[in-house]
Amino acid sequence: MNGNQFPADGQGKNQMWKTSDKVTHHTLEKKLNRWGWIFVSLSAVLISVFVFIPMVGALIMSFQTGKGVNAHFGGLTNYIRLFTDQTVGKALGNTFIYLIIQVPIMIVLALIISVLLNDDKLKGRTFFRIAIFLPCITSLVSYSLIMKNIFSNDGIFNQMLAHIGLSPILWTTDPFWAKVLIIISITWRWTGYNMVFYLSGMQGIEPSIYEAAEIDGANAVKKFTHMTIPLLKPIILFTTITSTIGTLQLFDEVQNITQGGPANGTVTISQYIYNLCFKYTPNFGYACAVAFIVVILIVILSMIQMKVGGKDNQ
Amino acid sequence: MKRNKTLSVLKYIFLAVLSAVSIFPFFWMIISATNTAAEVNAGKLTFGAHLAENLSSLFHSDLHFGASVGNSMIIALITTVLALLISSVAGYGFEIFRSKARDRVFNILLLSMMIPFCALMIPLYRMFGAAGKAGLTGIGLNTLFSVIMPSICTAFLIFFFRQNAKSFPKDILEAARIDGLNEPRIFIHMYVPVMKSSYAAAAIVTFMSSWNNYLWPLVALQDPQKRTVPLILSAMGSSYTPDYGMIMAGIVIATLPTGILFFMMQKQFVAGMIGSVK
Amino acid sequence: MKGKRIAAVLLSAAMLVSMAACSGGTANTSSAAANSQAAPSSADNTAKKLTIWAWDDTFNVKAANEAKEIYAKSNPDVTVNVVSMAQNDIVAKMNTAFESGNMDGMPNIVLIEDYRIQNYLKSYPGVLSDLSDITKTDKFMDYKLKIMTENNKVYGVPFDSGVACVFYRSDLIKQAGYKDSDMQSLTWDKFIEIGKAVKAKTGKAMINVDPNDLGIIRMMIQSAGKWYVDADGKADIANNAALKEALAIYKKMQTEGITVTSSGWDAGVAAVNDSKAATAVMGCWYASSIKKAADQSGKWAVAPFPKMSNVSGSVNSSNCGGASWYVIDKVPGKDTAKDFLSKTFASNTDLLDSLCKDISLVSTYKDTASGKNVNTPDAFFNNQPIYKDWNDWTKNIPAVNYGTSTYDIESKMTEAVQSIVKGSSIDDTLKNTQTEVEGILSAAG
Repeated sequence: MNGNQFPADGQGKNQMWKTSDKVTHHTLEKKLNRWGWIFVSLSAVLISVFVFIPMVGALIMSFQTGKGVNAHFGGLTNYIRLFTDQTVGKALGNTFIYLIIQVPIMIVLALIISVLLNDDKLKGRTFFRIAIFLPCITSLVSYSLIMKNIFSNDGIFNQMLAHIGLSPILWTTDPFWAKVLIIISITWRWTGYNMVFYLSGMQGIEPSIYEAAEIDGANAVKKFTHMTIPLLKPIILFTTITSTIGTLQLFDEVQNITQGGPANGTVTISQYIYNLCFKYTPNFGYACAVAFIVVILIVILSMIQMKVGGKDNQ
Repeated sequence: MKRNKTLSVLKYIFLAVLSAVSIFPFFWMIISATNTAAEVNAGKLTFGAHLAENLSSLFHSDLHFGASVGNSMIIALITTVLALLISSVAGYGFEIFRSKARDRVFNILLLSMMIPFCALMIPLYRMFGAAGKAGLTGIGLNTLFSVIMPSICTAFLIFFFRQNAKSFPKDILEAARIDGLNEPRIFIHMYVPVMKSSYAAAAIVTFMSSWNNYLWPLVALQDPQKRTVPLILSAMGSSYTPDYGMIMAGIVIATLPTGILFFMMQKQFVAGMIGSVK
Repeated sequence: MKGKRIAAVLLSAAMLVSMAACSGGTANTSSAAANSQAAPSSADNTAKKLTIWAWDDTFNVKAANEAKEIYAKSNPDVTVNVVSMAQNDIVAKMNTAFESGNMDGMPNIVLIEDYRIQNYLKSYPGVLSDLSDITKTDKFMDYKLKIMTENNKVYGVPFDSGVACVFYRSDLIKQAGYKDSDMQSLTWDKFIEIGKAVKAKTGKAMINVDPNDLGIIRMMIQSAGKWYVDADGKADIANNAALKEALAIYKKMQTEGITVTSSGWDAGVAAVNDSKAATAVMGCWYASSIKKAADQSGKWAVAPFPKMSNVSGSVNSSNCGGASWYVIDKVPGKDTAKDFLSKTFASNTDLLDSLCKDISLVSTYKDTASGKNVNTPDAFFNNQPIYKDWNDWTKNIPAVNYGTSTYDIESKMTEAVQSIVKGSSIDDTLKNTQTEVEGILSAAG
């Protein structure tokens, strides 16, 4: 995390404070420095109060066992239990399945759509763009309920399957299909969102670059992999990181579509933490321990993504 | 030439299918909002005449749906205004007054983006609980304040405004300083007007996430009259006998504000968002 | 350089603040708890505004509203506000409020499911009011009282019986070649045998199962006086013969192909209403869901719960769910709340009898047995006197200790059941689950 990932960051520090007079330079710098702290302090305080302090609180709680009035320091008990708790494994597994399968599908799909729509000659371009973006205006709870209704075992989707003579898919009671349903739902909701970024990024690319490539005999695929993707790299990185964080915190959808079922077949880490606090007999200490594992995982993952994505942007 | 033609047909088919898939749930939602629960369950795919009935049972149920729309609106508007103000000042500060120390603080703040909210929920709950107990009525649990506060300053927005501030021409800044304008005035009079599209994009993102926020209000709000729209929708969906006609009508209403907002400010949204990744 | 130093100061200050705030946080909560333990003034206790939370609009919310009307006649000065909420939301709010000791916005009276109450009584002593003076122990069924009693004090007013039974479609059973008399004193072996015939003759499933809800397994083990935990609250999974047999039966029903699967409460009800299953093995409160299919009136009948023939002590009676009313002690209006309950659910046989008609309530208040509606046959169930039957069966429900963590354990059990249905050995799977459940219980202690 050192700002390298955003190429513009690396250069030109203090470039606006060039003045010939050394004394003025010093007082001006001092003054600006003070203003700098004033500008950023409120947000630093707010984030400390509403994120970092609670985080330290959660860390302390993660060493406590017992609940309510019986809470007491329990050392590493909660962390030890993590290793015997198969639901943690299941929740981590599910979360990674969503991550590894859903995020790439969505990003590739969004890229392909963007390339297709980034064509002035395409008829109905605006219609396609709006249609594909439309899902983003729904709230997570709303669309989850719609999906739950459409894909319930005797919902409209299975009724349509029956119409064309196919047997129904047990979307909500089969652990495999339930995961597929979650992936379909998230992809439906977010592909258009990512598309907006790519599309705008592509509009910023000079057409002359492509024209030159065409003269050199590059075909559409080659243009896509050798030009579009490298040029969009910062945007792709940005969307990948936000999607990753979003997926790791996945809650609303699973909670409202499958409730984590069948038999914890779709449960995510966030939802397991929620269950530990609010659905089961509350065990906040243990829930905090689970949460800390996620914190560590997210930090590691983001660092990997930035290293991979940021390497040749120097 | 022939190959190109097939390709282009394939392209249209692909896009048409995707559009259909994207639109169908909306279509289903709107159709269902006009049908009875029984018709929804039976998979009726045509408009019915029960919209008024669904709306009336929605607003007359014990769940205070009408009040929840008001609550959500107030929370989303206040959150948006405060978040834009605080985060844009910070983003501007981090970019315009760059220094090693502030970069470090910025990086630490960025880390907060990676902490899953559920890890903070319990301590936050206790914090607001303690504030309420300490006699600070109005900022304890179960108040709009408790829902608004944790979301008015997010690292994402600071990051967003910082990235946007990069495109702010530095020579304007220096000229203004030479003219003797102080820093807050430069920010208000020179920066804010130029960055309209950034503000628009940030407003959309913040309004939407506040309007749709589910987990924290679920925990923080106990009074049924103070609940927000997603809480009511979720409660209706998890009831023993969900009335999907009524639920879909509720979802249509819940979707309207974000839909309208988005289509009104689409251009600015895209421009602002792109500014953040340039 | 200077900036660096300031930043360092700022950061360490932030750290210090966080530390202070955290230790302060714990101090605050304990002092908050201490504050709230101080007796509220008597004026607070007799506040004239009551809030009641319950979760089923067609059932307990309706009951609370009828009680409200009755109470209003004798106490017109008290405003009672009945709030309907999803049960999950009520549980979430209780968990957070009790854990933090902050009762802002909590109701005076709350309905709590019997499976959960032990946890609240044990983990948060003092949060719920002692109702020993209004709940007369000789007036209510013992199995119900047992779970809400702690240190010889009764903390709740028992509400509905969850007496388990087999709702069955008489017409489908007859098509399959069996008679109503075959459904009496069932064993699970017989149930499966009939189920196979139903499947063969009518093409319909015998029973609907939900992989997330092991209600049927809970009913089976309670019919043998067992639970996921033993009388001392220790995990009782790996060596629980009743549980093993219940799982074997559950698996057999699936392998014999007599089940239909659905997820979620409403989907289960829909499956029954759409005639996808010939029976529903549930608590008596399920009657209102079955009655939603008005066109099936006269086709349904009710039989006692099947017992497990291979498990000694298993009887033809069990329980599923059921809830009771509790008063939250720290919410202003505690005395008014107790007065409300004592004049309604804790004594009013007229109310309970009319609830029998209006919401098919099977009360656990003993005197309701002689009520008019309780002894009236129900036309939907082919004029069977179902309320009287349920009342009789309720007396035989084996009392068990539900322990503090039913739903945590249930979540682990759903995983175990899934792998057992897929073919894992019952013994090995349960050994594993035993370890996990011990983890839950030791962390909870």
